[in-house]
Amino acid sequence: MDRTRRRGTRLRLALAGAATIALLGPLAWLWQASLMPGAYSVMDMGYADYGGALTHVAGTSEHAEHSQHSQHSGHSAGHSAGHSAGHSAGHTGHGTPARSLTSLTADPDREADVAITLVARKQRFRLPTGRSVDGYTLNGTSPGPVIHATIGQLVQVRLVNESVPDGVTLHWHGVDVPGAADGVAGVTQDAVRVGGSFTYRFVAGQAGTFWYHSHQVSHEQVRRGLLGALVVAPARPPAGAVDVVALMHLYDGARTINGREGDVRTEARPGERVRVRVINTENGQTPVWVGGAPFRLAAVDGTDLHEPAPVRDTAVLVTAGGRADIEVTMPGDGSPVRVHVGGPTGVVLGSRSYDAPAVPRPAIALDLLSYGTPAPLGLDADRPDRRFDYEIGRRPGFLDGRPGVWWTINGHMFPDVPMFMVAEGDVVRVRIVNDSGEPHPMHLHGHHAVVLSRDGVRATGSPWWVDSLEVGAGETYEIAFVADNPGIWMDHCHNLPHATEGLVAHLMYEGVSTPFTVGGTAANEPE
Amino acid sequence: MKVVYKVLASLVAAEVAVQAMMVVLGDAGLFKYVEQGGVIDKATAESGGIQFPEFFAFVVHGVNGMMVIPVIALLLLISSFFAKIPGAVKGAALVVLLVVVQVSLGLLGHQIPALGALHGLNALLLFSAAVHAARRGRGAANAEVSDPDRPGARVETVV
Ligand code: HEM
Ligand SMILES: [Cu+2]
Repeated sequence: MDRTRRRGTRLRLALAGAATIALLGPLAWLWQASLMPGAYSVMDMGYADYGGALTHVAGTSEHAEHSQHSQHSGHSAGHSAGHSAGHSAGHTGHGTPARSLTSLTADPDREADVAITLVARKQRFRLPTGRSVDGYTLNGTSPGPVIHATIGQLVQVRLVNESVPDGVTLHWHGVDVPGAADGVAGVTQDAVRVGGSFTYRFVAGQAGTFWYHSHQVSHEQVRRGLLGALVVAPARPPAGAVDVVALMHLYDGARTINGREGDVRTEARPGERVRVRVINTENGQTPVWVGGAPFRLAAVDGTDLHEPAPVRDTAVLVTAGGRADIEVTMPGDGSPVRVHVGGPTGVVLGSRSYDAPAVPRPAIALDLLSYGTPAPLGLDADRPDRRFDYEIGRRPGFLDGRPGVWWTINGHMFPDVPMFMVAEGDVVRVRIVNDSGEPHPMHLHGHHAVVLSRDGVRATGSPWWVDSLEVGAGETYEIAFVADNPGIWMDHCHNLPHATEGLVAHLMYEGVSTPFTVGGTAANEPE
Repeated sequence: MKVVYKVLASLVAAEVAVQAMMVVLGDAGLFKYVEQGGVIDKATAESGGIQFPEFFAFVVHGVNGMMVIPVIALLLLISSFFAKIPGAVKGAALVVLLVVVQVSLGLLGHQIPALGALHGLNALLLFSAAVHAARRGRGAANAEVSDPDRPGARVETVV
């Protein structure tokens, strides 16, 4: 009796132990597998996705073997990131000798037309309205100075890190810079440590509104002020027009324009044309609308729209990281105009009076799918060389050991995500599907993509070129671009905390490699 | 292990109560902020800055819901294997299931608001299941105390 009881107890314990192991074993394995190595190259991350262009490239047997290998090992390759140096050959080796992206620079012999030094500091600073902010500055201010250039000029920016402990970089958001100047820590350079410096050189190839920000621990450094505006003027700026930058940023929850809480006043005389360059440096979309006059949406993400018609009682939704150039012609009677940015405040344009009442946000939002009139795209999107899917989902799991509900790309969790492989000159078509339940402002570095359709409805308006595209929950976008800028380019969510939660992939040119690693001695942490 | 089981089950119930308090606290803070002229758009919501003091409550709700409560529920399930309480495993498994449903409804509610209603309802089911499990544990623990001469007595009836 006693013995059977003891045996029963022992059996019970054994069963309980087995059940515990059956439950915890897989979890422990998943946890362990999710841990990232101390340093890894993004080239080794995830698995190569050739966009269906297996025959397009070189066509050597070596290539076929490699691509097969990477595709088959796709499911397990993620946690081997950094373990196997040879694995990267699967991405890059196609007979072409790899060239380092450090060689992808602007003409080193050309003299700079615009040269500026930006000194980054960690410090407590005051907004003009007196609010004290514990954050980061460039040349003592946040936002940093507005950089002005004219199309075709060579811009040279020397970044000096005086006191930012985590290190800094500068990324030129929306500018299709050469691969070495993209400013992504661990991908295109090492983060600039305290006392160090780095020089960015690029030709301003497109007139429009852009911005710059740190891409080292970016979710924290951007929020706390390491950013500024970049405006590239056309060769012949319209005479007599007023041009004003409206960079929106929130400091500790306080909404500011150009670092100022409340309204920003700009003088504009009756009949004058005004271009308000709205820059959304935040992690979420913001609405912009105009009270007191009709307006035109002249440009999106640094690209002019084709024949944009005047509208009124309509809001323009500016994507996180995106820009919208609002053009207003001042009323002849001298009454002021209010350009609302996200709320009752904004830019007030006037001459005699700045007493422009706030108007409520219009219910209608401008749909860029049908705004403006069509024009040639300069690419044949119907016969792409590569087709990629970028499907965003969400599921529970571990991200570098942290349990949570994380984003997925094509069903894979970071770092086991696709590496989108292209060759120079390819026409690339990407279908972005958002099944994750939340909107994502998707940002592709180094390129502008044109929107072809949303939820199967074709774009019929002006060519809509973007670098930051709001993909709402449940939406599907088709975009296309020409792979004309060799390098290794981030393709990620610009809701920057989402990037830390795994919503990061890369676009990689065949034959290009990077010597930099995420982590490592430079402690690179691009997200 | 009985005590552990009981404590973990009570903890889940308490956490559901905390969740309800937090989300209504956040809501009240948000509405007061709006009443006083505050403006919220996606940019403010995602900025990470604090526009109204009760904002933290939403963050607590999310972290509690996606990390803390699932971990407690899992520990409850493991303790149920070892707790010599009739129906302990079933009780814990039900709690785990309801937590999974609750988190899914919470996340899906962002896209389909109607699921938020089910999120509220399922919270009550989860609360009941956790209290029920805890009481089961209490009954067994009492039996253990009230019958010190036959500590194994209930074991026989369990398996
Ligand atoms: C009576 C109890 C509860 C009420 C009234 C309630 C209410 C809500 C509301 C209104 C939301 C949407 C607001 C937001 O996203 O912050 C929400 C979200 C959520 N809830 Fe609850 N909830 C309750 C209990 C729970 C419990 C017990 C869990 C977990 C086991 C949970 C997990 C979640 C999650 C994961 C979200 C999504 C949070 C996010 O996306 O950040 N809730 N809940
Ligand atoms: Cu996102």
